[in-house]
Amino acid sequence: MTHHEVEKYRKPIRVLHWIHSGAFVLLFLTGLILFIPGLGFLAEDSWTRVIHRVGAAIFVIIPIIYLVINPRSVARGLKLAFTWNSDDIGWLKAAPRYYFLGDESGMPPQGEMNTGQKMWWFIVVVFGVLFVITGVIMWFAKASAPPALLQWMVFIHDISFIVSGAMLFVHIYLGVFHPLMTDAWSAITGGKVSAEYARKHHGKWYAEISKGKEEA
Amino acid sequence: MAEKAILYDATKCTACRGCQVACKQWNENDEVIPTEENGVASKNWGSYENPPDLSPTTWLKMRFTEIEAGGKVRWLFTRQACMHCTDAGCVRVCPNGSLYHHELGFVAYNKDTCTGCGYCIDACPFDVPRSTRNIITGIAKMDKCTFCTTPGLDRIAEGWEPACVKTCPTGALKYGDRDDLVAEGKKRVQTLQTAGWTNANLYGENELGGLHVLYVLDDSPAIYGLPVSPQISAATIAWKDAIQPVGWAVGGLTIVGLGMNWLVARANAKKEAK
Ligand code: HEM
Ligand code: SF4
Repeated sequence: MTHHEVEKYRKPIRVLHWIHSGAFVLLFLTGLILFIPGLGFLAEDSWTRVIHRVGAAIFVIIPIIYLVINPRSVARGLKLAFTWNSDDIGWLKAAPRYYFLGDESGMPPQGEMNTGQKMWWFIVVVFGVLFVITGVIMWFAKASAPPALLQWMVFIHDISFIVSGAMLFVHIYLGVFHPLMTDAWSAITGGKVSAEYARKHHGKWYAEISKGKEEA
Repeated sequence: MAEKAILYDATKCTACRGCQVACKQWNENDEVIPTEENGVASKNWGSYENPPDLSPTTWLKMRFTEIEAGGKVRWLFTRQACMHCTDAGCVRVCPNGSLYHHELGFVAYNKDTCTGCGYCIDACPFDVPRSTRNIITGIAKMDKCTFCTTPGLDRIAEGWEPACVKTCPTGALKYGDRDDLVAEGKKRVQTLQTAGWTNANLYGENELGGLHVLYVLDDSPAIYGLPVSPQISAATIAWKDAIQPVGWAVGGLTIVGLGMNWLVARANAKKEAK
């Protein structure tokens, strides 16, 4: 096997990823300050709440810009993420042995997005939308909406925070720290993974792209 | 220390609004006089009630209610201000303890540390707290009756009664040990009942664990515009007592789980390498 590389994420996607995730982390941290009583003193005089609003504006506007510039890429990503087949069930069964023990035997070959990545997409899309709806109501309707509605909005915002926040830890851990995910970091920073990594982690996808090359 | 309270007797109140004025004056809550010269279009809205609502600078106001009973019109007056609940929704939802219970039982707050989140506004069963708020930036500060414990203007620490009580000319407002005032309120209710006010009642003895403002009323609280059985909202409980503790647990377990995965997976990877 030569040491040639294949492109996993094109530049616009990587830029989108980093701006959007930067906003998400900013929102996560400034939200956490209201969530954990021991950190609440940091929110005195509203300034972390102002940052939360700046983060929210970036969080909403950047994906919209991307959608306008590149609707096909978004449609393609959504299609990949929301198309499930028997190999995804196989992934779910094999995942514990694989991610703990490095046992690849039960792991079906994966496409461009593996099942874990599909689930993360699902969480990002569903809770992203919930964050925006509940957040915008708490932001702009604070003086006009009924108190009970505003309180339930915080409640749903918190559920979104708990689920997507916990999964954010998993996401960062897998991308940066997990011993087997050797090329995930270079994929989302420089765009490329080694052919070896692509073959092992995204077998179906690697077969597709290398076939394309042969034909070309 | 014995808990303190205010007893308000609606049947002795003449709605002179001296308490409203004393509250503003003592707490330095100036307000423009609503005239056209001052840029406020004052209008007649059919009531002597004024100002029409509580605000960040109006912590106490008298509510005027007109009802028809037995072919006669009655003109009722109620005090509208913080009730200083024992089980206070505002204290429950305050994210950083800016709202807290004073050692004498009522609900005080530290305006300097207020985050402006406004959660207390939606959690109060009596719709009391108000805030200034820039709707775009979200910058806000909450205000409400402090039971005259505003730092620098603390009458209670001096052993004085609150400004509203001090000024009340008819004795409709009284300040003292809560237990004494409950007993006195009950006596007053009995007197009213023997005089024919069969619906007379003492409001605040047990509501929300006991309010620190007690009301002697000659009729149902509903007629006076008070919630008959005020409750901590379901959302407050679901959010503060259920989902937040769950959140801390989920966060903690996730981190522990990932740490364990890292130890196991790394040990395996090393074994494999050998
Ligand atoms: C468009 C997106 C968002 C908007 C408009 C938004 C807006 C808000 C608003 C208005 C509040 C209420 C407090 C305040 O007035 O400052 C709030 C609270 C909060 N936000 Fe967001 N937010 C958004 C996204 C997020 C994201 C992505 C996270 C976390 C990953 C997050 C975490 C939180 C948390 C934890 C709280 C505190 C809830 C509590 O006190 O229990 N928000 N947000
Ligand atoms: S009346 Fe409202 S503001 Fe006053 S203590 Fe009760 S919940 Fe808090």
